[in-house]
Amino acid sequence: MRKRSIMLAALILAATSSLAKAEEVTLWVRTSSGAVLQGLADKYNASHDDKVVVTQITAEQMVPKLGAAIAGGSPPDGAVLDLIYLPTFAASDSLEDVTDFVKGLPYAEALSPSHIRLATYEDRIYGLPALPDASIIAYNTELFEKAGLDPKKAPASLAEIVDYAKKIRGIGEDTYGFYFVANSGSWLIYDFLPHIWAANADVLTDDGREATIDTPAMRETIAAYRDMWSAGAVHPTSRSGNGNNAVEAFASGKVGILMTGSYIVNLLTNKYPDVKFDVAPIPGPSGGVSSFAGGDTLSLMKGISEEKKKVLLDFVEFYMQPEQQVYITKESGMPSRTDLAGEAYAQFDKRNLVAYDILANARTPYTFSSDELFVSRTGPFLNLIQGSIFGDDVDGAIAKAQDGFSKILERTNP
Amino acid sequence: MVSTPKREQARAARAEAADREPHGWLGLVFIAPSMVFIGGLFVIPLVMTAWMSFYHWPLLGRRKFIGLDNYAELLGDTQLWQSLGFTLLYTVLVTAAILVVAFPLALLVDRPLRNTGIFRTIYFMPVVIGFGAASTLWMWLLNPDSGVFSRLLLGLGIVDAAPRPLESFWPALAVVILMVVWKTAGFTMVILLTGLQSIPQEIAEAAKIDGANAFSRFRRITLPLMRNALLLALVLNITSSMLAFDQFFIITQGGPENSTISAVFSIYLASFSSYRLGYGSALSFALLVVLVAISSIQLSFMRQRPEEGR
Repeated sequence: MRKRSIMLAALILAATSSLAKAEEVTLWVRTSSGAVLQGLADKYNASHDDKVVVTQITAEQMVPKLGAAIAGGSPPDGAVLDLIYLPTFAASDSLEDVTDFVKGLPYAEALSPSHIRLATYEDRIYGLPALPDASIIAYNTELFEKAGLDPKKAPASLAEIVDYAKKIRGIGEDTYGFYFVANSGSWLIYDFLPHIWAANADVLTDDGREATIDTPAMRETIAAYRDMWSAGAVHPTSRSGNGNNAVEAFASGKVGILMTGSYIVNLLTNKYPDVKFDVAPIPGPSGGVSSFAGGDTLSLMKGISEEKKKVLLDFVEFYMQPEQQVYITKESGMPSRTDLAGEAYAQFDKRNLVAYDILANARTPYTFSSDELFVSRTGPFLNLIQGSIFGDDVDGAIAKAQDGFSKILERTNP
Repeated sequence: MVSTPKREQARAARAEAADREPHGWLGLVFIAPSMVFIGGLFVIPLVMTAWMSFYHWPLLGRRKFIGLDNYAELLGDTQLWQSLGFTLLYTVLVTAAILVVAFPLALLVDRPLRNTGIFRTIYFMPVVIGFGAASTLWMWLLNPDSGVFSRLLLGLGIVDAAPRPLESFWPALAVVILMVVWKTAGFTMVILLTGLQSIPQEIAEAAKIDGANAFSRFRRITLPLMRNALLLALVLNITSSMLAFDQFFIITQGGPENSTISAVFSIYLASFSSYRLGYGSALSFALLVVLVAISSIQLSFMRQRPEEGR
């Protein structure tokens, strides 16, 4: 008995002393990317003494929580952020400069370009690509056939989307032609702005300092959406939807065309293998294509210890390896390294390549106030969409948005 | 109260003794915990808010002293005035609705029937749920695709399509008021019940013998004698409605098109959507002034004839 307890004590001692040597780093991740990052952390922790501890934070809460933690002096060691926030955090001197590490990587040239562009502030790099994705449309080929459309021919313009959506609505009672998430700013920049970009217009000037809301492309896009809405071709949950049920609605086979992202391909093939679908780039009002180059960037918080820095960068090198890149592609549809695309995609559905190919035409707004302009539920962008598509006064909604954008930019431009 | 000189002397002697002896500190020790709470959770935050309101204070980056600029800005802030107006509208409607529901409930459970205890408990139960949890619960109930309400209404054939109350102003406001009445009427009921039960039975009985019918007994005896309980219920409801946040943050999320942003919600937006902590602090102070004004008007009503209702 006594012997056993001595042995137990020795074991505990051994365990704690070996634990003391290993570093433990905390990593905040937005909920939508939580599963993938947790998976990567589990793989890493299983093969390393050091531990990466993932904490999930609701997407909309990430900036206020992280900001408060930084201000309060107790930030996590690292954070996996929506890439659109990188300019904000980099400009406020909250992130560790990782320029030398990035440039020293043998595959530096192959890192997702929009991640690096958004993570760059005054020629220094403050983050590493974690998960990339790109917005696309998905369409139900079975419903296309039922509506007398060619399932091999994706809509090449918004005008065609309108036409197809109305025809699909004609199939019957609870079948809808079109679904977009209209009550969430982060979905709308992802899925709505590409229409505008495809026509070579934008809502911000290149330097992100001025708003250019009122363009022919914006008016044509709004007109097309209004047309679909008044014809009853849009799924009724679109208007107040926050995105939670979008994939389920499409998977139920009652939605013709869904505005979505690259992750949809593997999500549907894994979870809803019976759905017959195809994907295509997001078209402009009368042609052209574009996409939102989105995803997550891993950043190190300013001032963490050298040891923790080493662990986090080691974790980055770990997930950049081919095996993990395949895992990332499986879970979120796209690898973080462009040079591994062939390898990463080899065992998956070829439809994944649609999003990958569109990346050359994809954009991401470089802005210091993305939350206030685009993401906020009470911000000018969300109100523009709600007011101009579902309301009665298009001109008023556009003027109000231009005014709202300008006021915020005047105040926040650095 | 008049005290005799003898008593006065004795008290003075006791006080002196207490001063000399170290036991005098004991009193301080006893009140220390509440001093810590009041200091830490009220006084210090209040002073800090006042201090922050004179700064341009971003969530990230450096703060800058700007004097009264935040206060100058809030005078011309249309969003703030809109949300104050909306909050007043909400307060009037929700307070009226709560009283209209809670008064009959109090009258019902005031009777000495067999199961009154059970009914009192049932009506009071939603009060113990937090506002955040209750709002989230109602979001599920109201969900047009999977919620109970839309299934029920569709099933009964009352509506043809799932109702989507959050897409327009009045239905959205009505839904919030309905939720708040459900959640808080029980509390107001208890306050009114204590008022009802403090009315001496004899007065009502005397009036009955004098031939007063039920309605005039209610109007001439019950209502006037419940004045203080009613006023207390009013003060509590108005104050909490002026501070409404959770229900709008969670259920309407300020929509449609920013029409349901309450005053506290606009403070939240300034602080945690625009990340302007200094301006948010200035807004908080402005709201504090409005609330103090409203509450002091109400309290002066209560003080006018404090002995009534006993």
